[in-house]
Amino acid sequence: MSFDFLQPDSLSGALEALAAYGDEAKVLAGGTAVVLMLQQRLIAPAALINIERVPDLNYINLKPEGMHIGPLTKLRDIERSTAIQEHCPLLSQTCGEVANVRIRNQATLGGNLAEADYASDPPTTLLALEAQVTTTSVRGTRCLALQDFHIGFFTTTLEPDELITDIFIPACPLESRMTYLKYKSRSSEDRPCTGVAALAAFDGKTCTELRLAVGAACEVPQRLPNIENMAKGQTLNDELVGEIAAGYAESIETLEDIRGSAWYRTQMIRTHVQRVLEDVRNGHR
Amino acid sequence: MRARSVTLQVNGQTHYLKIPAGQILVETLREALDLGGTRNSCDIGMCGTCTVLVDGKAVSSCLTLTAQVENKPITTIEGLSQNGMLHPVQQAFIDHGAYQCAYCTPGLILSTVALLDEQPNPDDVAIRKYLAGNLCRCGSYVNILNAVRACRTLDDQSRSV
Amino acid sequence: MAIGKSIPMLDSVARVTGTVPYASNLKLPDMLVGKVFRSNVPHARITKLDVSAAEQVPGVVAIVTATDFSGEGPPNLHFGSTYQDQPIVAADRIRFIGEPVALIAAESTAIAEQAIDLIELEYEELPAVFDAEEATQPGAPQLHGAFPNNVLRHSKLRHGDIEAGFAAAVKIIEEVFNSPAAQQVSLETQVAVAQWKDNKLTVWTGSQSPYTVRRVLAAIFDLDLEDVRVIVPPLGGGFGAKGNIRTQPLAAALAWKVGDRPVKLVLTRAEEFFTVTKHAAKIVMKSGVRRDGTFTARKITIFWNGGAYASSSAHLVPAGMLRAIGPYRIPAVRVDSYGIYTNLPIAGAYRGAMSSQGVFAHESHMDTIAHQLGIDPLTIRKKNLLHTDDTFATGEQLHDIHFVRCLESAADGLGWHEPFQRENGTAKKRGRGVAIMMKNTIANSSSECRITLDAAGRVTLFISTVEMGQGGHTAMAQIAAEALGIPVEAVSVQGPDTAKTPPDTQTASSRNTQMMGNAVLDGAASLRRQLAEAAAPIIEWLPEELSVADGYVFVTSQPQERIVYAEVLRRNNITALTANGKFSTNVGKLDSETGQGISTPDWHQGAGACEVEVDTQTGKVTVLRYHSSSFAGLVINPMLAGLQNDGNVIFGLGASLLEEIAIDAGQITNPNLSDYMIPSFLDIPVELKNVSLEAEGSSFHGIGEMTLPPVAPAIANAVYDAVGVRIRDLPLTAEKVLRTIEEQNDHAR
Repeated sequence: MSFDFLQPDSLSGALEALAAYGDEAKVLAGGTAVVLMLQQRLIAPAALINIERVPDLNYINLKPEGMHIGPLTKLRDIERSTAIQEHCPLLSQTCGEVANVRIRNQATLGGNLAEADYASDPPTTLLALEAQVTTTSVRGTRCLALQDFHIGFFTTTLEPDELITDIFIPACPLESRMTYLKYKSRSSEDRPCTGVAALAAFDGKTCTELRLAVGAACEVPQRLPNIENMAKGQTLNDELVGEIAAGYAESIETLEDIRGSAWYRTQMIRTHVQRVLEDVRNGHR
Repeated sequence: MRARSVTLQVNGQTHYLKIPAGQILVETLREALDLGGTRNSCDIGMCGTCTVLVDGKAVSSCLTLTAQVENKPITTIEGLSQNGMLHPVQQAFIDHGAYQCAYCTPGLILSTVALLDEQPNPDDVAIRKYLAGNLCRCGSYVNILNAVRACRTLDDQSRSV
Repeated sequence: MAIGKSIPMLDSVARVTGTVPYASNLKLPDMLVGKVFRSNVPHARITKLDVSAAEQVPGVVAIVTATDFSGEGPPNLHFGSTYQDQPIVAADRIRFIGEPVALIAAESTAIAEQAIDLIELEYEELPAVFDAEEATQPGAPQLHGAFPNNVLRHSKLRHGDIEAGFAAAVKIIEEVFNSPAAQQVSLETQVAVAQWKDNKLTVWTGSQSPYTVRRVLAAIFDLDLEDVRVIVPPLGGGFGAKGNIRTQPLAAALAWKVGDRPVKLVLTRAEEFFTVTKHAAKIVMKSGVRRDGTFTARKITIFWNGGAYASSSAHLVPAGMLRAIGPYRIPAVRVDSYGIYTNLPIAGAYRGAMSSQGVFAHESHMDTIAHQLGIDPLTIRKKNLLHTDDTFATGEQLHDIHFVRCLESAADGLGWHEPFQRENGTAKKRGRGVAIMMKNTIANSSSECRITLDAAGRVTLFISTVEMGQGGHTAMAQIAAEALGIPVEAVSVQGPDTAKTPPDTQTASSRNTQMMGNAVLDGAASLRRQLAEAAAPIIEWLPEELSVADGYVFVTSQPQERIVYAEVLRRNNITALTANGKFSTNVGKLDSETGQGISTPDWHQGAGACEVEVDTQTGKVTVLRYHSSSFAGLVINPMLAGLQNDGNVIFGLGASLLEEIAIDAGQITNPNLSDYMIPSFLDIPVELKNVSLEAEGSSFHGIGEMTLPPVAPAIANAVYDAVGVRIRDLPLTAEKVLRTIEEQNDHAR
């Protein structure tokens, strides 16, 4: 393999390099995905643009309206951030579930989102958190809701000359409970067979808002707003929980891989949506 | 393949190397620096035999381009013992028989060092979770757990790298 | 006393400092990288193989194809430890995906890979067969002309009157069990470094069988045995995969073509899967029982999927025949054990070779019988287990048998007789299961050693035992130290090196401790005699009046008259004493038509008891607690023995719950550790305990494999206990368990 190895030390430098190479370049952040693909000869780019030296892309900023996380923030740093553990434990919990500690020490949130791997944990949770992704190129900046960014099987709307420059997570409603269930059908070190992230706001026993995302069982993480709305103004009793779980199971087209068949994943969606709802109902934070 | 000059800091020593541009760190360590304690058993970051510490953090050297870690302090298993004395974690592994074929052992020891740096007194759950990314086919996990538990009583100075 | 002590492995410092000199770390001057170009089709006739463009790549030094073997005389293309049916590189026919077709020696891996990309292979595809039973049917593609119906070996056992046995049964139960192909996954992959000099070959390799490697390489190149030297450094795991002969012929052929530079061939993780696997097996087990749960008859048919070439299958198939029967009193037994060729990678020894599949069958079957008769699983086993002096299905009388003790030890450890709650009102249900195994070891084998004592009182053991993490060298040092009465620190071990250490059959089949251990005892006894002879003139007593123990030669009747070993040598002006030791067994053989005779010098015995939790909504099985026991006879190093027992259980968890080679039209689709998962720290039971049983008057027994085969059936039996579903094919994946639960619920409605 033969490629130019660039290490821009400014954002503009990085963007110009991307503009110049177009889709002949691959962005290198943590490297766990890109280096693996290089070694397996799945990609053969003309250039690798290592953006690790670009300043101001590694941050966790808490604001009243929400949290801004830089694309170069390591998953391990998100996992261990006391600020995130306090204000958005769903995110720190999810990032802590990814792969193993070595991967989390290297892999970045931006890299994870750009890869759009279906068998991944953060995209599911970010969908439930209504995250927004800002991308920048020499042509300007745009901001997309996650579901408009991560649109298909290993597919994002990221243009070849764009970099993710910010991930924004709106502040979670007060009194909200949240959890992520990563179901591994095989070893503890497996990728998810099914992942379910839920965030629910309550007024006493009444659920005022439910956001529930399912991932890893399907090509792209999904929320089903019509089914989520069933919870609005209701107590999450067993019957309703069952209906929501069934609704997700019946509506999502599941895929098959070494971790489970499509049929099995449908069952796992039902089971884990139910369990996640029971968790938030019982006060999990 | 194009060659590239890199400056590497490994175990406190500086090395000026000319390597293939796309070379991964585990190959540079094993080929250019003759450090055979870091291994590559799975090529995909799953097994942990390629574990090294970069800036004190455990990473997979099979998923790291050498070019990415220029000038960053790298510690391999060979860098743990000081002045011919074993690191306390190494000694604990011996005392508790925490290995069989020992192919996974350097990775496990380095991961343990990194764990204890972060959490000097991890409970069993934390130990198992942290080390779960280091596979041991011989199945020495029970003794490894005992070895790591034993390290919990050590003072700060002797334990860090 | 060195025996019975949990001393650390001799090279522990190297193990924790990363300096063990594995073959994968070997660097020799001017060394070349060896790489393999492999087929991507399971069965084909080669029509064109063009390596000319590859040869032109700068840095490529040599390429080997079948044409290199077409002249008169050596090297011979085909090799094999029993049948010489395997070509070093495919000649006119390809028989499995991943088969070596060309070999490249180059200055670097990158150059070799570049060259591989330029090799042109054209072929005419042939129909292929992947299922073992199917391969025996008329009309199936034939892999080897000499073996009709693709049967490479058919081993038979006929004991007692099977017809009468079934006629006398009150109940006849028949079940079919399937074990898939799996991979041994030693963390260090297969390595062979070969170098020729003056028409002599040296190979450094991680092999469990240096003498088999030497013999086969000598046959390939028509060399005298002395002209092939095999050196084996410590292995990063073996587990059977590195037994027999594997990549050594490839490295040797490349080095031969290169001339004099050494060539190092290291397999990638993916290549490991194409090189050797565990035998997939279908086992049909039929038993006749009386109402009281005792047996009248058992009939077993086994289809072993051997892959494309015989390799060790030729002798493993008869071994597997015995290992499927079970440690029970059964008056009439009939076994047909078929080893079958298919268009898949070669199957070979896998820890507890050919046991896991059979034990999964007979121990699951035992619980089915127990439940059908309404007898407790532990009780029915104890009722039927063999004892010392009983006769086994081979007609041989058993000795040193401790099956009941093994089983009770495991069951008691788990608390089998304590009250047990299966349900707790949630979707998770708990269950318990037991299982026990019986295994013969190699009937006729030999181990030799050489021991030297120097004038400083240091002892060196020259042995061909392979150190692969089991602590084989350490155990031998402990035996020698105790026999000579010296500290273990004074003993060092060298080998294997076929030029320097005497022969040993192989390090496999849990034979080392017993066989080499006894050879060391023999050598130590000889050394003691030599010491007495050498001391006699100095101490001025006759040799027969002297004793040698505890580091001294002393007068038996006046022990204060003594001298240390070192002084015996110094006063005699001897720099070293050398003694040879040997232990071999030649207990007999089995009749080829009836399987009757003597099969083993002694029996390997192990058991397990476990508690599982089944999540009935996901099907996921979690092993909460596991207690194993093995019969060790005499434990040399309790810590190392414990590591073997626990290590085996963890290995077995993989095969039981996680591991299966996925095959699609002959292509292995999961040859990596993300798609094929082995047990991690979090996959092991929170409570994992083991016991190595000893017995008065017993000597060392092997324990390298014993607690592995019971794992899968113990878990399967516990799952049945928890949720009432019987799963007969491995692994017990969550999806399989859930499907079976749902099918059962559907039937119930």
